[in-house]
Amino acid sequence: MTKHFLLAIIVILIVYSCGQTQNKTHEVVYPRVVGETKFDSTKDDPAFKPCNELRVAQYYNFGNGFQYKGEKSEVNRIFNENFKTTEKKGETGYLTIRFIVNCNGHSGWFRIQEMDNDYKPKTFNKDIVDALFKITKGLDGWVIGETENESFDYYQYLTFKIENGILIEIMP
Amino acid sequence: MRYLFFFLSISSYSHAQINCNVYTLKNDSACYKACVEANEAAEFQGTGYSQQKFDKAIALCPTMAYAYFEKAVPYLKNGDFITWKKLIDKAVELDPMAHLGYRGWCRFQFVRDYQGAISDLEKLDALTRFDIGYSINGDYHLQIARALCYKALGEKTKAIEIIETQLKQKDYSPMPFDYLHLGVLKLETDDLKGAIEFLKKEIVLNDYLAENHYYLGLTYKKLNQFDDFKRSMEQAKAFYLKGYKRTDGYTHPVDKIFLVDIERELALTKK
Repeated sequence: MTKHFLLAIIVILIVYSCGQTQNKTHEVVYPRVVGETKFDSTKDDPAFKPCNELRVAQYYNFGNGFQYKGEKSEVNRIFNENFKTTEKKGETGYLTIRFIVNCNGHSGWFRIQEMDNDYKPKTFNKDIVDALFKITKGLDGWVIGETENESFDYYQYLTFKIENGILIEIMP
Repeated sequence: MRYLFFFLSISSYSHAQINCNVYTLKNDSACYKACVEANEAAEFQGTGYSQQKFDKAIALCPTMAYAYFEKAVPYLKNGDFITWKKLIDKAVELDPMAHLGYRGWCRFQFVRDYQGAISDLEKLDALTRFDIGYSINGDYHLQIARALCYKALGEKTKAIEIIETQLKQKDYSPMPFDYLHLGVLKLETDDLKGAIEFLKKEIVLNDYLAENHYYLGLTYKKLNQFDDFKRSMEQAKAFYLKGYKRTDGYTHPVDKIFLVDIERELALTKK
């Protein structure tokens, strides 16, 4: 009787454990926060560090929207003056560069997403990507994210709308 | 408390929770459970925990558009438009009447995908016998948003027609920026009398905006009314410095101006 009982328990545990494994294989594992960026030694500057990696806000959390010294018009001016490009057929879509502005106002951990006008992944000409990336990395007027007299790191992104290699608009 | 700040501040830009009792009435216990799961998930928008709960809801009730819609929101806000679009497309496929207007608005506001936004808003217009509704941030009727898309594509006469038609609709109360955009369009199409008429109407409706005075000033400049131009630009600057200007927590609204724009015009008054 005891032997049969133990056998039944073992069978139940095995079945449950199989079920768990199966569930786990179907379950998508998400980062703690959607869009969370982790340090990648193959692409990130080790000199840049968020002040508190576990508590990085979003640029829109502070109630002031996009914050750059000289406002968005200054960002537009910098790209208009420095993004030198000629018409390139087919180089159309959106390129987004997302990064962290740390509590000292420095930027780092840049990530790039490229898509076409149908919101499908695409790869832009390397010259375009490199030029936009270089200018973005050089932006040094990010306003420090602050609330209740405390400074925070935050995620910011810039999306470039490109038509045949020409920069049309910058979002957000 | 500080964590609460983060959660509260990232939980906007989505619909209110849905009433799960609708599934009880249909004797659909799986979708009821999914609905409860999705409503709980929406409370923690933007977290991995929330996304997993939306997945559970979708597994329980694959036809629930709301779960796809809510799951999509943090990707939109983060600039991951590829993932957002996949999810919001599913919501639209399952319930076009509920989500076409929203998708169209977001394509306009976040992606400046004017053609895509027009396509969504016009599909919605064709689907419904009723009003197509308002933008989720409450700033615009969606017909005005459609007009602004046409303006961005260079079709300014069409944009004016759409706004004027909307303003004539029975029982329509002008939204806070309708006259501003119409006034700017009139200015841009050299109807200076019309520009003054609508920018002044905007001032009556919603005075505390630097933009009203800036564009009115530009109109006076075109009319060679130098004193009015100068006075309007000074008013625009005073308002701007007080924070009376177009703002948006996520993006930059159409016809928004910056301090540098006003100062450039004021410099002309000193020459």
